[in-house]
Amino acid sequence: MSKLNEILQKKFGHISFREGQKEIIEQIINGKDVIAILPTGMGKSLLYQLPAYMKEGTVIIVSPLLSLMQDQVEQLKILGEKRVVAINSFLPFQERELAFRHLADFKFIFTSPEMLQNEQFNRALKKLSIAYVVADEAHCISQWGFDFRPDYLRISNWLQSLNKVNVVALTATATKDVVEDIKKTLRMNNPFEFIHSLDRPAIAYEVVEVDNQQEKLSWILGRVTSTEGPGIIYTQSRKKTEVYAAFLREKGISVAYYHAKMEQSDRILIQQQFQQGHLEWICATNAFGMGIHKDNIRQIIHDHIPTSVAGYMQEVGRAARDGDQAIASLLYTSTDVEQTFYVSMQDFPEEQDIQIAFKPEYAEVEQAETTTRILKYWKERLNEQDTIQLFKQIKQKKWQDIQKFYSMIQNDICLRQQLLHYFDQPLLEKPIHCCSKCKLDVPSILGKRMKNRNDQVEMNWKKRLHTLLPL
Amino acid sequence: MHFHQILLFIIHKISGQRSENAPFYLLKGKKSGQTIQDVTYFQLHAFFSILPQLSKEDYDTAITELYKEQFIELKESTVHITDKGISAITQQKNVLLNGWQYRGKEHVFWKRLDLAVQTLSQFHANDKKFVPNQKDIDTQQFVKDYLIQHNFRQFNLSKEMKHELHLLLENPSLDDLHRTFFVYRLSGFNTIGLTWEQLARYHKLSELDAKIIFLECLHTMLDNISREASPLLYSLAKNIRIETPLTDSAFKTNSLLEKGYSLEQIADLRKLKINTIEDHVIEIVSANKSFPISTFISKEQVYEILHLSSELQTKKLTEIKNRLPEVSYFQVRLALTRSEQLHE
Ligand SMILES: [Zn+2]
Repeated sequence: MSKLNEILQKKFGHISFREGQKEIIEQIINGKDVIAILPTGMGKSLLYQLPAYMKEGTVIIVSPLLSLMQDQVEQLKILGEKRVVAINSFLPFQERELAFRHLADFKFIFTSPEMLQNEQFNRALKKLSIAYVVADEAHCISQWGFDFRPDYLRISNWLQSLNKVNVVALTATATKDVVEDIKKTLRMNNPFEFIHSLDRPAIAYEVVEVDNQQEKLSWILGRVTSTEGPGIIYTQSRKKTEVYAAFLREKGISVAYYHAKMEQSDRILIQQQFQQGHLEWICATNAFGMGIHKDNIRQIIHDHIPTSVAGYMQEVGRAARDGDQAIASLLYTSTDVEQTFYVSMQDFPEEQDIQIAFKPEYAEVEQAETTTRILKYWKERLNEQDTIQLFKQIKQKKWQDIQKFYSMIQNDICLRQQLLHYFDQPLLEKPIHCCSKCKLDVPSILGKRMKNRNDQVEMNWKKRLHTLLPL
Repeated sequence: MHFHQILLFIIHKISGQRSENAPFYLLKGKKSGQTIQDVTYFQLHAFFSILPQLSKEDYDTAITELYKEQFIELKESTVHITDKGISAITQQKNVLLNGWQYRGKEHVFWKRLDLAVQTLSQFHANDKKFVPNQKDIDTQQFVKDYLIQHNFRQFNLSKEMKHELHLLLENPSLDDLHRTFFVYRLSGFNTIGLTWEQLARYHKLSELDAKIIFLECLHTMLDNISREASPLLYSLAKNIRIETPLTDSAFKTNSLLEKGYSLEQIADLRKLKINTIEDHVIEIVSANKSFPISTFISKEQVYEILHLSSELQTKKLTEIKNRLPEVSYFQVRLALTRSEQLHE
């Protein structure tokens, strides 16, 4: 057995590599810059985790999403790796000081783009021998990306300040433009590019046009009560997650809602209940899904047109991790385009916001937090007119994206093919269950719902305590 | 005790003396001189800081309902309880909350307990690879040290802990609702705790009520943890009780007072307003019954103020001060604070 396979088995408990994994890992070990695009659920973390055991030095993982960082740290710890730390602004001051002093003890250091500005952190990093730097969710670097993080752009200067170091860029979604942005920003030197097909053959796509919001609800009730889950219903407002959950519960479905306004402890409990199969359905905003480890999700329902194709692919991609057939359904009305544009523009700076931002007496508190962050970044780089111009372009691009998505679901062309085309990828092979435009026999995909599980068992605290601590 | 009951209980005590927002600041645990002195004036220690997350929106909704029911009314910008309101206050066996004592630290204990139980449960099931529900590093470190220290791989820790929890939950002050909410918030192997919404819906309560019931249970248990009867939980509750229940700033003022500095000197030294330092003194006096106040006010003045207060049936500062022009507001507050302690 090769050394790689041995580590794969011993450390990660897998018997064989998935397509492309071994190739990428070898390139990293050989000191090549690597840019890898592969769909969620295809073993992305293994790509930067495994080579660490074949190389001297520390791996620095820059990750723009804090919740994801937390999840990755937990997953590594579950694999038995103790030399792992997350250094971000949420780490209490004393813990941070302690971590800085013992940086060399860690094999994996996760950090946020914001932290890269911290001088003390950088001083400590300079003393380390770095195996390679990983830019996770690298599409966030690109201003054309669907969740652009301006702070992430600062990674460019940071990389320059380090001595020559290898960079691994990972993402699940990137168009050609975005890939070019990533390469440039990360100063990649003739990188090895691995582009996995973003197609998920096990997921069938279904689009359904309805006349109004009421019909969406009846459609959802009909579908969920007649077919098997588990599944997620994505909607755009917190209120709606609660409304859907209440209607479904009335029909005997084991369901919960999930949105960002809930207490953190409750969000964790819902996630765990769903993961362990105690809940069959989740009605959620797009806050749900990051760091969900559940292989058998069979259905994803959207009751709206998503704000971006990339975001849609990410949400849909949570289904069928086990490779078994699943279905993604999208319900829309003809007026949903405006609604979606409105939602995606909620935090977006208008021309007068930008003008205000450029006034000398400008106080940052006046605007939404994300607006402030993005504006602050560009203010340091562009003049007022250019900034206004840039935001006009971004806004226009967003509108075009949504329009494009709308026409994709409305025309007669295979949806799978169009989704891949959006990412400049060809559709190589059509699965039997492709999409509702290629003809789709939903009953043969989804199991017929047998009976509702009755979850309303009597609560008994003594029994429960005994279940928790059986001795 | 339900949220409406708590509001009525508080308003009953401050009736005609304070604005309709005073209970809000009390429940949120606002660290202002006014709120802290009210805790002592009106004997409201139980409710201080029990709902730090309470939104003004939820509060206003509840208050509006109380107005609508004519349980309370607004007169000259103070809130009054009506006769109907008084009769709506259900007689409590006793108030189970102890907010003044814990100030949110009870949740630190809860996080430790939750993680300890989850870990023990997972290890018992031989499933050591699990995602901890509690994410903050302080809690994780504490529980890790705790479990190692108690030799948790030997299973009697799990058994003993269950035994201690059982004993504390059997406390006759609690009812089954308390016990249920407490235990069903915990998680373990293949058994995930319920959310507030799930607990509340099952029992047809509001989420706020569910949280209060849980908190009553948590406070009661913490009150009864002892080194002798519940040694395991006792060490899990390390540093949870606030020994000197002072805010950090008042604590600094207290140290300077003990060194013999005058109020003016302290204000100067700390670059704070004299009013703030006076607030601190009130807080210190509230917390410490034996703190001498004779440097700030004479015995005769205390007597005069208290006499007037009972004669006028008021604790309103302005009313008392108007009749006694020679004493300061600060002195009136001092006298009222001290008098309540004598009545305890
Ligand atoms: Zn198709």
